[in-house]
Amino acid sequence: MTFDPRPPAHLPDDDRIARLDARFGELAELTDALLRSLREGAADPALADRWLAVWREAARGEAVLNLIREVERERQENQTLTEISMKLSSTSAIEEVLRTILDSLRQVVQFDAAGIFVYDREIGQLEIDMLVGYEKSERQILYQKFQEGVKVGQGIVGTVIMTGHYIYDPDVRRDPRYIAARESTLSELAVPIMARGEIIGALNLESDKPDAFTERDRRSLTAFANHAGVALERARSDRLRQHTRRMQEEITLARRIQSSFLPESTPDFAPYDLAGANFPSSEVGGDYFDFIPITQNDMGVAIGDVTGHGVGAALLMANFRACLRIESRNNFAVRAILGKVNDYLYETNLPESFVTAVYGVLDRQNHVFSYANAGHNPPFRLRRDGSAELLTVGGLLLGAFPNVAYEETSVQLSPGDVLLFYTDGVTEAHDNEGNEFGAERLRTMVQKLRNLSAREIVKQVSEAVREFQSVEIAQDDLTLSIVKYD
Amino acid sequence: MKFSSSLKDGVLVFTLKGKIMGGPESTEFHDELKKAVNSGQRKLVMDLGDVEWMNSSGLGLLISALTTARNSGGEMKLARATDKITSLLVITKLNSVFDSHPNVQAAAASFK
Repeated sequence: MTFDPRPPAHLPDDDRIARLDARFGELAELTDALLRSLREGAADPALADRWLAVWREAARGEAVLNLIREVERERQENQTLTEISMKLSSTSAIEEVLRTILDSLRQVVQFDAAGIFVYDREIGQLEIDMLVGYEKSERQILYQKFQEGVKVGQGIVGTVIMTGHYIYDPDVRRDPRYIAARESTLSELAVPIMARGEIIGALNLESDKPDAFTERDRRSLTAFANHAGVALERARSDRLRQHTRRMQEEITLARRIQSSFLPESTPDFAPYDLAGANFPSSEVGGDYFDFIPITQNDMGVAIGDVTGHGVGAALLMANFRACLRIESRNNFAVRAILGKVNDYLYETNLPESFVTAVYGVLDRQNHVFSYANAGHNPPFRLRRDGSAELLTVGGLLLGAFPNVAYEETSVQLSPGDVLLFYTDGVTEAHDNEGNEFGAERLRTMVQKLRNLSAREIVKQVSEAVREFQSVEIAQDDLTLSIVKYD
Repeated sequence: MKFSSSLKDGVLVFTLKGKIMGGPESTEFHDELKKAVNSGQRKLVMDLGDVEWMNSSGLGLLISALTTARNSGGEMKLARATDKITSLLVITKLNSVFDSHPNVQAAAASFK
């Protein structure tokens, strides 16, 4: 059927209705007269002819009027659906659109209450999205019942969503499926709401009269449900988009926090050559490395890894860094610094979050590196002769337990020594087959590159790791730093 | 990660499976553990034999479980830690905090 938005030429104007009413009045009078004459046993043929003529005219008038009413309803329905479409394109507020749908529906179908219900596939339950015509107390009853959980297949609405077929219930008192909230409801009509070929919910109407809805009403309701489907589907994709945007914002924020705390340039500390690099993963972890000038001849060297990802990890890392930098200025004993940092993090952090770290002080006059390892992947000390040693002395990871004692030790460095610090993102980087890069591969590689500058070693190793690792699997942050005794 | 629990001779054994890496399941796990501890359970064993992989958030889960147990005067032991987990415990030096046993029976017996 094509839709002509112009009002039809044959609107049932008051005049026509008045004339028809007069015809029915005349018919009633003639009927009375005819019955009287029949009872009296003297039927008047002229009266009977006249009665028949008026009856025909009135019946024809009624039929035409019904047709006109039908056309008018169609026009009204099309007009309101057009209005809803316009509303849909002008506002993204789902509440407003759904309310408009139910309000407009009133102009086409008579009902006392209506509701739009949405099926949440993830939890397998139904939710109420919009109700009209419910008293406050009735609304509460319904909300409570839905909060307790109405599943697909339960209630009239739930059955419609399960089967995808409408249900017309002319007398809900005799239907065990009916979930009673409005006491006065006697009949109910519910149709499914579809979107992209899937059932996403149901639209239902309730009436205080029994058998209140017609097949024509059902067709109207289905047309309105289609619009509700478009609105709900659009709201869903809007929500999804917003969620994705929020996630991206969080990642950007975390990345900004993280990168603002990493050294922008490495200090000159001859005869030592220092370099470090961090490659944040897509999820943003909490990796950290630092070179902290303490005195003219003492340089703090740190590497750390914080549990978790995102803003939480970035903040914990910021906390750890601030704490370490403050304590490293007040204190010279590495084990005392880590003990204080541990207690501070323990007091301020959740029990399940912690930091693994190595902190040490490089003394360039005496060529001594004094360090403590707090539960971190042990750095390598690579000697010129190819031998290696792991820097493992220290204590527990930081921030998980109170009053932890740390041990420290001093390493006497010789010319050509390379200290290699890294986070588990380097050694646990894995390729498509699930093979890890591994500490051994890392050690061998740095041994081979040992004659290059610290910066060049960091560059080549991180390139090799990034080349090795699979792009399809989510990877951790990569952090690497080198201290080289030239 | 999946987990289940069973009570045997007064020891509550949590069997952890799959990848332990934080997320909503670990909250669920911790709620379950808290419930057990609050109802008076003091002897806990974590069976890690079917754990495929564990990251730092997974370690965080074990630490917070231990903290929860100890805060109420209880104790938590580990059983069947894989080589991978053991090396993680060694690196982080958590092996000095966790009491680790080759199997659930040995872990349960260590309470006596």
